[in-house]
Amino acid sequence: MGVIQSKPGATADAALSRALNDELTDKGFVVSQLDKLITWARTGSMWGLTFGLACCGVEMIHCWMSRYDLDRFGFAPMPSPRSADVMIVAGTLTNKMAPALRKVYDQMAEPRYVISMGSCANGGGYYHYSYSVVRGCDRIIPVDVYVPGCPPTAEALLYGVLQLQKKVRRTGTLVR
Amino acid sequence: MEALGRHIVEASSATIAVSIRLGELMIETMPDKLVALLTFLRDDPKCLFNQLVDVCGVDWPDRSQRFDVVYNLLSLKHNIRVRVKVATDETTPVPSASSIFSSAGWFERETYDLYGVWFSDHPDLRRILTDYGFEGHPLRKDFPLTGFVELRWDDVQKRVIYEPVKLTQEFRRFDFLSPWEGARQVLPGDEKAKAS
Amino acid sequence: MADNVEIKTLTMNFGPQHPAAHGVLRLVVEMDGEIVERCDPHIGLLHRGTEKLIEYKSYLQAVPYFDRLDYVSPMNQEHAFALAVEKLLGITAPERGQYIRVLFSEITRILNHLLNVTTFAMDVGALTPPLWGFEQRELLMEYYEGASGSRMHAAYFRPGGVHQDLPAGMLDSMEAWIKQFYPFLKDLEKLLNDNRIFRMRTVDIGVVKPEQAIDWGFSGPMIRASGLPWDLRKSQPYDVYERMDFDIPVGKTGDCFARYLVRVEEMYQSVRIMEQCVAALRKVKGPVRVDDRKIAPPRRSEMKNSMEALIHHFKLYTEGYKVPAGETYTAVEAPKGEFGVYLVSDGTNKPYRCKIRAPGFAHLQALEMMTKGHQLADMSANIGSLDIVFGEIDR
Repeated sequence: MGVIQSKPGATADAALSRALNDELTDKGFVVSQLDKLITWARTGSMWGLTFGLACCGVEMIHCWMSRYDLDRFGFAPMPSPRSADVMIVAGTLTNKMAPALRKVYDQMAEPRYVISMGSCANGGGYYHYSYSVVRGCDRIIPVDVYVPGCPPTAEALLYGVLQLQKKVRRTGTLVR
Repeated sequence: MEALGRHIVEASSATIAVSIRLGELMIETMPDKLVALLTFLRDDPKCLFNQLVDVCGVDWPDRSQRFDVVYNLLSLKHNIRVRVKVATDETTPVPSASSIFSSAGWFERETYDLYGVWFSDHPDLRRILTDYGFEGHPLRKDFPLTGFVELRWDDVQKRVIYEPVKLTQEFRRFDFLSPWEGARQVLPGDEKAKAS
Repeated sequence: MADNVEIKTLTMNFGPQHPAAHGVLRLVVEMDGEIVERCDPHIGLLHRGTEKLIEYKSYLQAVPYFDRLDYVSPMNQEHAFALAVEKLLGITAPERGQYIRVLFSEITRILNHLLNVTTFAMDVGALTPPLWGFEQRELLMEYYEGASGSRMHAAYFRPGGVHQDLPAGMLDSMEAWIKQFYPFLKDLEKLLNDNRIFRMRTVDIGVVKPEQAIDWGFSGPMIRASGLPWDLRKSQPYDVYERMDFDIPVGKTGDCFARYLVRVEEMYQSVRIMEQCVAALRKVKGPVRVDDRKIAPPRRSEMKNSMEALIHHFKLYTEGYKVPAGETYTAVEAPKGEFGVYLVSDGTNKPYRCKIRAPGFAHLQALEMMTKGHQLADMSANIGSLDIVFGEIDR
């Protein structure tokens, strides 16, 4: 018996949880690198700022709802930038909105990540040649993951979020 | 519908031309008679066009009075639509319809913003759709599609700055008119052909 | 102490990034304590230059722009553009195409009302309706994907009919969906209709009298909730709406609660229309786009075998069809109101001027009139019940 029940299915996850289990029951504590622990905490609970601007915002909402539940990845929706880790820029960024976007980005606390969702946020998209559109939100803020699509399906955004988690694990150090 | 058109011409002195095309009634008038015409259309028992559905502008740069301000009206009672057109140019103001229909407020602001048509007696005429310090009127035919300025964040000045537009790939316009009248491309070496 | 105390109003920014702002809306509100005195909506934060871009594209290339206007109900906007171009061309879509259009228009109406009603409930505090409602939206978006290939922006309604026919089995699947939708709507109503908190936050909030509604250019559920039975599907029917048997819900009080009730009842009526369309589509066979090869492209199998079909395909997808000179204002009953397209053509293959009359534009103007004297929390209830989407307001 242990704290975590796992089936004898012999996947890497199952092996890990069994090992953790054994150590916990044996000694009562687990030893790990501080780095890995912090990265596990960071990726397991990334709160996303809902910055839905246009049509991609609807797909973003779909990603949070019952079918492609983002909440189960710890990715809770957080309307306020002060307590958010990730900003998902979903939709077309116009010239009028750009200063507001930068302001909201500056209000986020480090470590902060940005997912650019949809072709309008990636590079201007369908409205690239327009007079009032910023050709890609990376002209205003630094972007970590680009999710292509018009709009990207909710599944694609989910994949993008998982990619971001992989990126955080890869580059996870205490010094950002 | 022809009967209604005739009635409008007879009863109101404010029309210039009435036409019916594609099943839609259209009235043309002058800017100084616009308010009288709209009030007549709203109040006359045979018309009762009580909803102003749309106000927009159209730019015909080849004409001297280059802008057409188009008002689309709807009569809920008689279930009929009508279009009123007023021609104006860049400097002549058009009287505002916001005293007759409250819904005209923002539509006229938008026409001013996108075309530069000035509306006199408008309670609050300022830019509505374009950026806060935008110069120019975008939907005019001589305004380029990509505009003149674009935005980016400058890390040195720590603010968003405006720069002249630099496109990595130009907008591809294909000229589909007949080759005899359409594209006039000067191929290298042709300059001397004209001289001879 | 002096008797004349000066009270200054506080000007506040209900900023562009706000969970209840339904997109990018910047409201500058002047408040006297908690009561709103004036509010000035700043729009244009999503102004993408759609109308200018449309003037540089052919008629077929302009179709996807309409999807992206009101992005919670994409196909209704395409419908307006398709009808406007067909009017100028002087053609009508074949019967099966019209039935498919009406079917998907009503699916889109349900999509829109589901999003609006559930997010409105979320704005006033109920968190369960969105979770339930969005699963129904996902099921409907599966139909979008089956018919057109894309979950949201379909580019399915084109001038001349619809792009391609429905896949096999979709009609049976829709009948099954309709059967499970009625209990879902009843559950939703049970959650919200008699809910004390919901009622306290919506009854008598944002009351619009019928004369005000007409004056401010309201249409759709906004004007029906104020007591005027005006619906373009009944008064100026287009496609096969004349053959459909449905009712129009009309509200009595004109407040937020009436608008919510009108929208829920409209969902019931939309399902009724869907049932009739599905039954009709089983019987009506035939082409789904007009036969004229100068307007609608040939099928791919034809294109690969016949020379004329190849030429037609090439000319249509590069240059596009030329529309005779003229102008028209065509409006459809979009879920939000009257969505109109004022199209001016000068005889070439590109539109000369395409003005998009969005219902949200006229409705948002009236926000100040509706919110005067209410409290700040009612502001989000009002915005939610106005059903505004910035894709169509700012274009």
